[in-house]
Amino acid sequence: MKAVEIDFKTSTQAINLKKKKKHQNHVRNDAPSPVSASHAIGSHLVCALGLALSFWATHSFFSTNLISDPVHTLLLTWVFETPIVVLVYSRFRKNPKECSYWRAVGRGLLGIPLGALINIFGAIALGAPVGIQYLLGTINWSLLMSLLTFVPAACVFGSSWTDWQRVFAHTKPIGAIDYMICLPAHGAIIGAWLGAWPMPLDWERPWQEWPVCVSYGAMAGYLVAMVASLGFTLVRVARLPLKQD
Amino acid sequence: MVLHGMAIFLFTRGFLLTRTELPHFSTCSDISDSPCISPSSYSSNLNQTHLHQLQCWTRPVVDRLVIIVLDALRFDFVAPSACFEEKKPWMDKLQVLQKLASTQGSSARIFKAISDPPTTSLQRLKGLTTGGLPTFIDVGNSFGAPAIVEDNLIYQLVQNGKRVVMMGDDTWLQLFPHHFEKSYPFPSFNVKDLHTVDNGCIDHLLPSLYQEDWDVLIAHFLGVDHAGHIFGVDSTPMIEKLEQYNGVLENIIEVLESQSGPGGLHENTFLLVMGDHGQTINGDHGGGTAEEVETSIFAMSLKTTPSSLPLELNTSCCELHLDKENMCINSIQQLDFAVTVSAMLGIPFPFGSIGRVNSELYALGSGTWNLESINVGNRQTQLNMQSWMHDYVNVLCINSWQVKRYIDVYSASSIIGFSSEDIMRITDIYAQAEESWSHTIKNLLLDKNESCNTMLPIKRQIDAYSDFLASVAELARSKWTEFDLKMMGVGLGIMLITLVIQFLGIKRMNKTCGVNFPSPGDSWTSFGLIFSIFIVMIRACSFLSNSYILEEGKVASFLLATTGILKFRNSILKKKMLLEAVVFLLLVFIFRLTIELGLSKQAFSSGFTSIPLWMYIAEIVPMLALVLLACFLYKSIDDTACVGLLKFVIAVTILSYLLIAVHWTMESNLVGTPLMLQGTGKGLIPRIIYAIGIGQLLILALGRLFGKEKALDSKKGLILKVVAMLSAWSSTVIIVSGKQGPLVALASIVGGWCIMRLENLEHESRDGSVGVLNLSPLPVTQWSLLAVSLFFCTGHWCAFDGLRYGAAFIGFDDFILIRQAILLTIDTFGFSLLLPIFGLPFLVAHQYPSVQSNQRKPFIFARLSQAYMIYGLITATTVTFTIICVTIQRRHLMVWGLFAPKFVFDVVGLILSDFIIVLASLYYVG
Repeated sequence: MKAVEIDFKTSTQAINLKKKKKHQNHVRNDAPSPVSASHAIGSHLVCALGLALSFWATHSFFSTNLISDPVHTLLLTWVFETPIVVLVYSRFRKNPKECSYWRAVGRGLLGIPLGALINIFGAIALGAPVGIQYLLGTINWSLLMSLLTFVPAACVFGSSWTDWQRVFAHTKPIGAIDYMICLPAHGAIIGAWLGAWPMPLDWERPWQEWPVCVSYGAMAGYLVAMVASLGFTLVRVARLPLKQD
Repeated sequence: MVLHGMAIFLFTRGFLLTRTELPHFSTCSDISDSPCISPSSYSSNLNQTHLHQLQCWTRPVVDRLVIIVLDALRFDFVAPSACFEEKKPWMDKLQVLQKLASTQGSSARIFKAISDPPTTSLQRLKGLTTGGLPTFIDVGNSFGAPAIVEDNLIYQLVQNGKRVVMMGDDTWLQLFPHHFEKSYPFPSFNVKDLHTVDNGCIDHLLPSLYQEDWDVLIAHFLGVDHAGHIFGVDSTPMIEKLEQYNGVLENIIEVLESQSGPGGLHENTFLLVMGDHGQTINGDHGGGTAEEVETSIFAMSLKTTPSSLPLELNTSCCELHLDKENMCINSIQQLDFAVTVSAMLGIPFPFGSIGRVNSELYALGSGTWNLESINVGNRQTQLNMQSWMHDYVNVLCINSWQVKRYIDVYSASSIIGFSSEDIMRITDIYAQAEESWSHTIKNLLLDKNESCNTMLPIKRQIDAYSDFLASVAELARSKWTEFDLKMMGVGLGIMLITLVIQFLGIKRMNKTCGVNFPSPGDSWTSFGLIFSIFIVMIRACSFLSNSYILEEGKVASFLLATTGILKFRNSILKKKMLLEAVVFLLLVFIFRLTIELGLSKQAFSSGFTSIPLWMYIAEIVPMLALVLLACFLYKSIDDTACVGLLKFVIAVTILSYLLIAVHWTMESNLVGTPLMLQGTGKGLIPRIIYAIGIGQLLILALGRLFGKEKALDSKKGLILKVVAMLSAWSSTVIIVSGKQGPLVALASIVGGWCIMRLENLEHESRDGSVGVLNLSPLPVTQWSLLAVSLFFCTGHWCAFDGLRYGAAFIGFDDFILIRQAILLTIDTFGFSLLLPIFGLPFLVAHQYPSVQSNQRKPFIFARLSQAYMIYGLITATTVTFTIICVTIQRRHLMVWGLFAPKFVFDVVGLILSDFIIVLASLYYVG
């Protein structure tokens, strides 16, 4: 609890600081962002590979897959994916001087349950089944979703409200890191949204069960959006020298 | 709107196959009108022993009848696997039937029964018992319950002193609520439950077989149908079910046979094991594919007879490889069932039956009769067969006469009758048959003793009658089961045209607005436009699949939540109204929970009513909600000190809320009210409330007509008018929709308020100096989605069993068609059409246009009419898509189960909402 408080305190301070810094940021808007293209590519690759790897691992070592046992698969997937995402994105934290690497990791970990809560709420508002037998699936799914959407932002921005707002509400990412957070998150959400559509069809396939196809949709959306974000970053990198001229 | 009406009318003519039910009943004495030989005089010559029996249209040939209905019995469940190209695991499971059919020769047979679509149990049972072709909507006075009011087999049985015992599927009881002597119904709605109905049947069936107190026993097993629905045909539960049935049937037949000796209980009993329809491999049924339509009838007479069937009449389709088993499989139309059974039991044929007495089944039944005549007269087989033929031709004569009578009466009385050429043709054929009959009869009477010559004319006669009956059946089929594509196309075309017109209208409206007020090109508006079009299109396209129609409520709330989340995001963007957005999302959440509960209502209510605490809560919460509503209303008149009339109306509404509360407390068991008061108050209070509601509406209308109000502030005036209008309607709607009423009303108010506020947010955040012009269609879309969600929330769904018939009888005990229909409509569409449409001006009124006050009035009205047009467009679009989908899917499996009800609901909704929109715009704008 105490850590949370401290985190919040420091982060409020950080906001104040950032407000000042933001101006500076805006001033040197065109300056190359702290994340280079190669970093972005690397981190995306790591995340995507992590996702694929964890999937493959559950498939081969634990011999479960999403269809036969969604709860376990999701659980294993997010457990595998957590350290990867948190560690990778914590490297890109904002103002690295005030915020140590491990603090970023800490707030990333803290962000998991928070993001999961928001995701659960959203999912239920959209029509996820409520019931004891679905509870575990929902929780695990939302943890994974939180990992794909919420945690990177938590790692990078901490509790800087303005940044959150910029990325998620205005959808006006500036800089590679924003793209890296914003696009995959939106991709995952839209993918999950689309993934929900086959659910009511009466094909009676096992993958039509709640969280299965939604998870597939989310992951597919995430991966697609990653590619998109990579593209944006590269374009940006390519353009930057031109702008500077 | 007129165009809408026309389009819908045309389409409906083409699509919905209607048939008027006739209230006529056949009675015994009718037979004297027919040209046929009355059975008593005729049969007395043949057989003296039966004279003492009650004789009606035909001589009864069996005394008792056991009908075992196995729901969704595929033909290949019964028929031996040798009939089919390859043996499937589910074949040959009912071996007892096959064995009997192949060993006992003519006394037990398997028939292939061809049923007519729609192959759903209810329609099939109706078809089986009335002998007609039940269409989707039988226009009749069967309002309130699906009970059959037409003449039918069961009714005739009861009329003629037969005692009918029923067990199994409770659909029978819905169809025939008062006909059965004894009944053991079991709930049929729980598809997952494979065993309750069957076990109940088995428990009651075997003991009943030993008893004497029935003449006709019906046992309806549901297990196969349910197993098919859940697991499909090719599954272990299905095979287990079939094996179980095999055992049960073995037991039944054993019991029957053990008592079938002379003097035994089942001396002259006839056993029918039949399916009502088939099913596909996936276990679905409802459509008209061969798999669904083909079912089987196993018929067995318990008196074994050596008499052979007159082979010339066989319409059998014996396959060669079957002959070695000495078993042929003939096909029967299910249409013929009612009339054949009636003939066998000797009761009048149901009035509306257009079937033909089936020769094989009838012969099978009359095998016993033949035997007797052999015993009595000791004649030869030839003669024996001839007497049977005499009988059969007579039966057919009666049959034809009855069908002719039905056709005549039908085309005389129904609005949409047969075309005159068809009638002419039918009459011709009948006249021919008739003529030859009079010849035949002369011959018959003359050559009574020289029987060798009569065979040929009789056979010809039989052919003539069969011709007639077949052509009638064909005509009826084409009339009642085929779509009129041309009509449908025209209707659809007109519908599309109206859509375009509406769209253009909105465009033009936009333009006129744009002329008056400079329009800021706002990216958000266009985004909203695109998004709302997107949402409407998704919703419309989702009607293409039956699954989405089934889950329509969920789809609507899904989309609503999506818009809610978007708004939420937006409000974060603007850092305002976060609360409203969250409340809205919460509301959507509640909606979808209630929709789910509504879908599984029965299970829910039975689970919770047992807990007393829940009871208390259920009693008290609506009251609280009522009080809250009243408070809202009070506040609304409190802070606007204006027009007395409207104020008065609202005050009266509060009063009627109080009355509602009183009514409910009296109904509930918590407060012990004196019986006297209950008796009088029960009907009185709702009636007072209806009267108040009508009075309020009248006052409002009159006030609108005569009282030129001094428009103090058009915006406030508008709001007040809306509130008054809503309050006038609300009391009636609330009391009709029962205890959930105030809760839903509260929810809709909150939802509406949230949408409004969020919409305001848009406008406030925009530069307030320029008047907002283009009404963003997004909130209107949201509004209509909310309305749809409300429809499902209140526990309705697009099916006729989703209508809450109970609502029609609040405050009234007796039944008057129009009054009850109005109440039912108010209940069904009250929350989803009436209130939202009358409440739509809120959206407009609560925006704060910063235009000069002289411009304000026309501005608001332009906006208002625009909002109404958008709303109308949205409704029309969805309906158009429903129509398109229905057209595309008209041969779909579930067309009668899902698409057609959906279509009817949508169409009724569209017409109503058009009507209400016109009314509302007249009231507010005009």
